[in-house]
Amino acid sequence: MHDLLPHISASLSSVFGSIAYFMPEVYLALLFIVVMITDLIFGKRSLKLCRIVACAGLLLVMYLDLKQFALVVDGGHLIFSNMLLLIRSGIFFKLIIDLLSFILLLYFSWDNKLNGHQKGLSDLYSIAIASMFGLHLMVMAINLLSIYLAIEMVSIASYLMVAYRTENAFSTEAGLKYVLFGAASSAMMLYGISLLYGFSGSLDIIFHHTIEQLSGVNPISTSFAMILVLIGIGFKLSFVPIHFWVPDVYQGASTPVTAYLSTVPKIAAFALLINFLSPFMFTGLWTGFNMSIALSVIGIVTMVAGNFAAVLQTNIKRMLAYSSIGHTGFALMAVAVLSLQSVSVLTYYLLVYALANIGALALATYFANETGAEDVEDYRGFGLKYPIASVCFVIILISLTGLPITAGFTGKLFVFSTVYGVYQQTHSIWLMLLMVTGALTTVVSLFYYIKIPLNLFLKRKEMAEISNKKSMNLLILSIFISFILILLGIFPHLVLKLL
Amino acid sequence: MNILTLLLLVPVLFGFIIMLLPSSLRGSFKYLTLTATLIQLGISIWMYLHFKTGAAYGGINHEDQFQFVQKLPWISLNLGRMGKMQIDYFVGIDGMSISLLVMTSLVLVIATLSSWEIKSNLKGFFLLFLLLDMAVIGVFCALDFFLFYLFYELMLLPLYFLIGMWGGARREYAAIKFFLYTLFGSVFMLLVMVGLYLSVTDPATGNHTFNIIQMMNPANYSGQSIFSIAGHQTILGMPARTLGFVVLFIAFAIKVPVVPLHTWLPDAHVEAPTPVSIILAGILLKIGGYGIIRICLGIFPEIATSGAFWLGLLGVISILYGAFNALAQKDLKRMIAYSSISHMGFVLLGIASQTAEGISGAVMQMVSHGFLSTMLFFLVGVLYNRVHDRGINHFRGLGTLMPQYTAFVMIAFFASLGLPGFSAFVAEAFSLTGAFKSPTVNGLLPYWMAICGSVGILLSAAYFLWTLQRMFFGAESLKGGNVWKIALTDLNLREKLTLAPLALIALALGIMPSLVFDKINDSVLALVQFLQLK
Repeated sequence: MHDLLPHISASLSSVFGSIAYFMPEVYLALLFIVVMITDLIFGKRSLKLCRIVACAGLLLVMYLDLKQFALVVDGGHLIFSNMLLLIRSGIFFKLIIDLLSFILLLYFSWDNKLNGHQKGLSDLYSIAIASMFGLHLMVMAINLLSIYLAIEMVSIASYLMVAYRTENAFSTEAGLKYVLFGAASSAMMLYGISLLYGFSGSLDIIFHHTIEQLSGVNPISTSFAMILVLIGIGFKLSFVPIHFWVPDVYQGASTPVTAYLSTVPKIAAFALLINFLSPFMFTGLWTGFNMSIALSVIGIVTMVAGNFAAVLQTNIKRMLAYSSIGHTGFALMAVAVLSLQSVSVLTYYLLVYALANIGALALATYFANETGAEDVEDYRGFGLKYPIASVCFVIILISLTGLPITAGFTGKLFVFSTVYGVYQQTHSIWLMLLMVTGALTTVVSLFYYIKIPLNLFLKRKEMAEISNKKSMNLLILSIFISFILILLGIFPHLVLKLL
Repeated sequence: MNILTLLLLVPVLFGFIIMLLPSSLRGSFKYLTLTATLIQLGISIWMYLHFKTGAAYGGINHEDQFQFVQKLPWISLNLGRMGKMQIDYFVGIDGMSISLLVMTSLVLVIATLSSWEIKSNLKGFFLLFLLLDMAVIGVFCALDFFLFYLFYELMLLPLYFLIGMWGGARREYAAIKFFLYTLFGSVFMLLVMVGLYLSVTDPATGNHTFNIIQMMNPANYSGQSIFSIAGHQTILGMPARTLGFVVLFIAFAIKVPVVPLHTWLPDAHVEAPTPVSIILAGILLKIGGYGIIRICLGIFPEIATSGAFWLGLLGVISILYGAFNALAQKDLKRMIAYSSISHMGFVLLGIASQTAEGISGAVMQMVSHGFLSTMLFFLVGVLYNRVHDRGINHFRGLGTLMPQYTAFVMIAFFASLGLPGFSAFVAEAFSLTGAFKSPTVNGLLPYWMAICGSVGILLSAAYFLWTLQRMFFGAESLKGGNVWKIALTDLNLREKLTLAPLALIALALGIMPSLVFDKINDSVLALVQFLQLK
């Protein structure tokens, strides 16, 4: 004990020093407590207040994120004894996550079904804030332990959110499935981490000697451990073959929760994947399987499986679930050719995808609120009845498909350019296959995305007037998103030059 | 303001006006659209008159020889290790574009005039129409590949809705077939485009560029790049440049359409409403031909030469296959759709010959077919609007019932089958001359191709004359009996005003082909020279 005493003050001062680099997260933690207390004090009437507090708090967090850019001018910082890493690209990821969460927090209460929940939504806000704290950690985690903790934190919050409102057996099943799959995959990940720790004697993957130690071990063993860890991360990313949970959970959860699950944790998981893989891909000491090829194969399989499965779907949320799997595959392209350049392209692609996906689900909520439509077939003839919402839907879907002049197209173009640039140097056949698959699945994806405009505009149906209260908020949100998507389609450099 | 930009902005401006107007004013939408297209026609005629000719204005691979150029930096991104990305708003025209641009503007006016038949959801129709208008004009003006691709893809969505919402019974099938077919071609074009962009650097700025004209200069390709001529790179075991050419060619061949990539066309044409059929046949098919000339030949000249035999073969197959199919059709619109395939085969044959005559003939054929197919589809629309039937064997003896209509049909048919004195004769004669000359001049095409092409003209005479005989001659006999007889009134003033200029232009171009040839000649010569030099 006495031997440790001299170190305590040094460790303490290092921890305190780190807090300066951790302000957004500190405020998020405080915000979580404030929202929870607000809920406790004001009880049933607290919904509005909680929402205001949560959103205002998020704005503050975003401001703090912005201020962090000044801290990383001279490069990244390792904080909390090498647990977390603050770098420029990470701050962008955090900003995007906060921005999207801000939209999502507003969107939660606009869904009639979710809003009709008897417990009220106040708890959901505190859970969401807590999960955001986890997301921030995921973006910054660089130590095997912190990676595991961050993922678990997000997972537990997600379980709660999925099961927050279980209207029927199907969504209860979805909630349970999610927990079981999540638990199993995190157990596997933990096993993988423990193996890596056993092989290398260290949890700090950012240091060379850790990878060096690993290179001394049988490559099959390290590869096995690596696969286990990738399964844990892949569960969050939902790439094939660990994607089974996605369709059921996305369909069973409330639509805003689906919007949440399909975007922010995915972005954070990509950030985490980059953090985790960089040391292995860049040091040249990794002796296991070829990461780039492995990611390419996963990407190809994911694109094919996601897009082809989506063609068969009729439920709109289920279709978007499969399409989001396809998008994961496409984004993996950029990870397969990991570099500084590809990270910023990936950030852009994910931002655009997430915006469009939130927009699509917001419109699914809009139509569900207005008419109770859940299936693509139910949308017949809505185009002329809800022209603005339908036109926005078309723009958003065009962006998801990746056609000009939307942001989805520019995102796709930049990813292709990045992969091509690497292909020109390496002539790796896998990269070429990746690009060809990406192009082919774009055509496939049109096949199912176009089903929605097809039903909205081309099919005709005489129907009785069903008019509930108007969901103006959702309409404004989708107009806003469509506008942004077109704007970025014409001027992608507005965002991309920052990244 | 640059006049090409103005040309592009007019439909956008009018689109906004229509968008903001309340639905109660829906009656005015067609007049607004007509105004927009008339303004565009005026602008393009002005450009035609002020278009300078001479060897110094050949265009093709000389950036400074293009006219009405506007070049603004648009997207400029520093991509770190990959250098800077340079995308320009770069529009300009040379001889290849000007004739097609004038033709396009006129066809758009005609298409608007035929939109009088559209009764439902006018706001949506005219908004989409104007969007399509801007996109097709943009394709002919763009000299930056990125911009070109943007306009090229932008056409798809309006067309999908125009066919799908206002089309006939099988409209959904036809619309999605068209969309998927074209998208299939263009996503792979995107990959080639990205590859070209990463291969080419702008010598002035040192950035990677999408500039089509810079892509034509072999010196701008860096040695290690995929599409470098000297590099002889391969993709999946195939020579990269050949693969690039094939991919681009397939994308444009789907648009032309070249047999066997044509199956979307009869469906789309038959199901589309008349104005959309007119745009499809009159303009969109030419975008395919224009793309082959500007992009396939311009960027991959040596592959175009080595593959000329195959291009010619596909052209001949299209000519014959389209003609035989046209002979077999029972639906008038379908017959004309197949005749389009046959006529566009001459474009490909002319291009493949790589002679001045052949390429002039190809461009002339595009212009001529633009007007004639517009006229033909408009005429079918006239009949269809009256009785909602197009079966060739459902009508007989229309000549006595609708004399004026029959007169216009005869003009259109005779002009299309290549009667001397009309534009199609000149065009097809030049294409075939090119094909005949090719074996002796550059040895690209064998003689039998030209002979087969001539047989195509014979076949086109057969199907047009046979149709004329079946539908318009003989004793009057209609499937719908007296009801049809009352419905089948002769042409009204609007229809005559629409058809007369088209007939006159077909005649004028036949008698004075120099109207087109004078403007395109320098560019054609420049292109031929460029192809020889490589």
